[in-house]
Amino acid sequence: MSATTAPTRPRKGFSLRQREEIDFYLFIGLWLIGFILFTGGPILASLAFSFTNWTGLTTQEWVGLENYRQLLFDDKLFWIATRNTFFYSLGSVILGTLGALFVAILLNQKLPGTTLMRVLYYIPSIASGVAVSILWIWLFNPQVGLVNYLLSLVGIPGPPWLASQQWALPALIIKSTWAIGANMIILLAGLQAVPTSLYEAAKIDGAHPWDEFFNVTIPMISPVLFYVLVISTIASFQILTDVLVMTQGGPGTATLVYVYYIYQNAFQYLKMGYASALAWILFAIILALTLLQLWGSKKWVYYEDPGT
Amino acid sequence: MDQVTSQPISPITGRIARTTPWHQRRRTRRIAHAALVYVLVVPGAVLFTIPLLWMLSTALKDPKQIFVFPPQWIPNPVMWSNFPRGWNDFLPFNTFLINSLIITTSNIIGNLISCSLAAFAFARLRARGKNFLFMLVLGTMLLPQEVTVIPQYVLFTRLGWNDSWLPLMVPPWFGWPFFIFLLRQFFMGIPRELDEAARLDGASSWRILWNVILPLSKPALATVVIFGFIGNWNNFLYPLIYIRSMDKQVLAVALNMFRGAYGNANYQYMMAVSLLVLLPVLLVFFFGQRLFVRGIALTGIKG
Amino acid sequence: METHRLSRRRFLQLAGAGTASVVLLAACQAPAAAPAGGGEAAAPSQTETTLTFGHHWEAAFRPRQEEFDKKYAETHPGVKFEYTYNTWAEHNQIVPTWAAAGTLPDIIYVHGRYAFPWNHEGIVVSTQDFIDSDPEFDVKGIWEEALRLYRYNGKQHGIPYDHGPIILGYNKDLFDAAGLEYPNEDWTWDDFLEAAKALTVGENQWGYGGYYNTILELGNETGISFVGPWGGEVYNEEETKLLIDSDAARAAMQWWADLIHVHKVAPLPAQAQAIPAGPWVAGMTGMFALASWGTPTLIEQASFAWDVAPWPKGPAGRKAGSFGSGFGITRDSKHPEAAWQYMREYLSKEGMEFMWGSSGRGSPARQAAYESWLNSPGAPANARYYMDALENYAVTGHPYHTLAGGEILDICNRNTQLVQSGDMTVDECIANIIAEGNPVLEDAAKRLQGG
Repeated sequence: MSATTAPTRPRKGFSLRQREEIDFYLFIGLWLIGFILFTGGPILASLAFSFTNWTGLTTQEWVGLENYRQLLFDDKLFWIATRNTFFYSLGSVILGTLGALFVAILLNQKLPGTTLMRVLYYIPSIASGVAVSILWIWLFNPQVGLVNYLLSLVGIPGPPWLASQQWALPALIIKSTWAIGANMIILLAGLQAVPTSLYEAAKIDGAHPWDEFFNVTIPMISPVLFYVLVISTIASFQILTDVLVMTQGGPGTATLVYVYYIYQNAFQYLKMGYASALAWILFAIILALTLLQLWGSKKWVYYEDPGT
Repeated sequence: MDQVTSQPISPITGRIARTTPWHQRRRTRRIAHAALVYVLVVPGAVLFTIPLLWMLSTALKDPKQIFVFPPQWIPNPVMWSNFPRGWNDFLPFNTFLINSLIITTSNIIGNLISCSLAAFAFARLRARGKNFLFMLVLGTMLLPQEVTVIPQYVLFTRLGWNDSWLPLMVPPWFGWPFFIFLLRQFFMGIPRELDEAARLDGASSWRILWNVILPLSKPALATVVIFGFIGNWNNFLYPLIYIRSMDKQVLAVALNMFRGAYGNANYQYMMAVSLLVLLPVLLVFFFGQRLFVRGIALTGIKG
Repeated sequence: METHRLSRRRFLQLAGAGTASVVLLAACQAPAAAPAGGGEAAAPSQTETTLTFGHHWEAAFRPRQEEFDKKYAETHPGVKFEYTYNTWAEHNQIVPTWAAAGTLPDIIYVHGRYAFPWNHEGIVVSTQDFIDSDPEFDVKGIWEEALRLYRYNGKQHGIPYDHGPIILGYNKDLFDAAGLEYPNEDWTWDDFLEAAKALTVGENQWGYGGYYNTILELGNETGISFVGPWGGEVYNEEETKLLIDSDAARAAMQWWADLIHVHKVAPLPAQAQAIPAGPWVAGMTGMFALASWGTPTLIEQASFAWDVAPWPKGPAGRKAGSFGSGFGITRDSKHPEAAWQYMREYLSKEGMEFMWGSSGRGSPARQAAYESWLNSPGAPANARYYMDALENYAVTGHPYHTLAGGEILDICNRNTQLVQSGDMTVDECIANIIAEGNPVLEDAAKRLQGG
């Protein structure tokens, strides 16, 4: 593959490095402009509102750090919501990523029917919203729901799921695995991009399938796997619709997740200022987690071009 | 060709036995391999289909049958009429369909362009402030939209974009962090030698992106198209807030208009129309994932 | 409103100016967005007014609305209509969004629970002046219980369109199968309990139960319905304190909790919640607290015969809660007079009869319009018991004039849910609610004073 023949016009006195930098800012220019115009302002505004007692309507007074003080020291629901969300995130990210990887590898073959099955695994993640949540209420019915029926086939008496304080959150985690189709697609794309020559070379070296998996597949898809982990984590911390439709935070506070608590404060309690403070604490939490993942990625994510 | 090294005679049949044991023969291995895959994957696929079958079942029911206990799977009578009625009798779904198609298509194109550019920059170009800017990209995904929705609405209203498609159709042309991040990861998996070879030939960054990176990224781009389609097709909150007139409304919002107060809804119509609304997404997925065929992906990696 | 509050517009400009200063400066020269977004001329035309609406009707009911408006437009030439239909669930999220940008339509739907906060925040303006100067608009014909939901500082803001009490609904098929007499006007809660026991049969049939957890729910209309007959109250009149720790309230709550755990005539949450629309709609319970606005859905979805009876008498007499919805003229309306002209017809006797009476949708807020509903196919045979309740023993269910309504309701639900599942005793529940709820109420009262 050869590039165009005409050499680039030498720009006046710019070094290669400087040219690259100019190119960089040109290429991200669209995003940067969009950020400044559409995203930055509202984000800063919400930060500003977190220092007020804005109701979401008209009342608005500066209260300084009072919201933050209250949520950290006076609000036991904040801690409950944080704990619930961590637990949910752990469960759904691990199950979701492993599940998606498993299915992606299996469906990466050229076998008859894999296309159909890719579609089947994928459809649930796009059937969205309220209809699906209502459906899952049926599925978790202790007496006639599918979940307990399947459990009974292997002799396990199923718990009351959505009505149980212990099992409501796990029920939501289970539901989240229904949407692994999305991550499966991404991982499939990543698997497709692994050059076959590497596998051939491994076979010539007499590699066992497990060796192939750990020493060829995983490293080659690690950038994409990393993406799936980070995005899943961020998304799992922001779950809302399921709780809104299926459990409303209950029973008790068993499924009170963070963004649901934000939603309640913002639109039901007339405490939009407080909700903004909550949102920014969430921001800090997810940011810390993402940075942690980024830092950890140096250990196991393999990029073809180190040194950027 | 198999070499015949010895020819033992089977004591039972008296025939000459084959030399390669059955469990090493290529064809059996492949069948066994396939069988293993199916055993692992098919049960899940069936499980994943069941909820959709339930949606179909509800869509074909008379409302008095939806809430009986224990739940029935087979509707009786089967009301195929729920589909055309749900689509035609209440709201102009044909209009919504066209609207959704226009917005979605435009947004996908915008996303592809803007996100490829940005992702290439983050993946391949060196510059000061790059890491900070990338963190900024990630950072915009971290704040729940519940708290930015009102300030953003005020902003767009001040621009005069109230009750129009502009708030939905303009921002995608300026990048979308999820795709920027995704494409960056993909681009970083492409060997740098190709870039360098092109640079030696005097290629500009743009040429490298267009002639080297993008052709090797078909699965990734297909992924962006697929996800872009779904994201826009199902996008509910933004059209809900920014579109006021019915004739500009989109499918995702219209679907929810079957819901009434206190959680009641015309479930049979809602499920029927939901299934219909799924079909274009399936089409896009079907065609998009054809790019996921092994072998197209990588050329140009010479030893 | 009060003067010491920061002007909202100025605050938003300050916040947004940080990074978007150039854009905002340019945009501030753009014409202020009209709700219709249609670029109306700056000088309002004398002959044509466009009224904009924020409705919440589901798809099936919109034709009715549009029919009324067509007739209105015929008799009021020069009036045009533009609708925005929100979903009921999102309406209360969208209205604040509109309010923040000043793009509220002329008339919006106001659920009873949001009437007070929106009045307090100035989103919905007062119609008292219009009412005072319009003797033909029969405001007294609307039930007082309905009107008081929409009053603020003595002035009427919104006007209610529907209002209804909770009374007893019963499944005639199950009663017949058990050989029981239908509930009647003399029923006490003891009669209720007896019937409930007879109706609890096998594993999947109970005497009482229904939509989610309507046992011990202390929400607007259900709170007083459940503790009132025993003489208890949930709130004090000013809504600054919770009163559920009185002996009467405690006894009432214990009685209801016992239905689930002692007499076992009501399903556990695990059993009730697992059915999306509740066991009542599925025909699995004999009785249910049936609000008047629940009747249209039941007609469509129930596969059994049913009817209604008065809410039974308790030791302290008969008491039930009522609640409703209405419409209001918004702060951003450019034609409040035209909006009032519409509202006075829309919410007149004839208007209510057309929209919620003969249409079968139910419980119009006027006594005079009730007959049309009773005669419509949407009303159960004994629907006049609803009217009877409104005339004799229904009171508007608190909370409706505190800013903390939403929060208190959630506090109550969190705790009563656990009593229903058996994870908490009634005494603990009351103690928790008081401990969490009173400070919230006091804080809200302070915010009302402007503190």
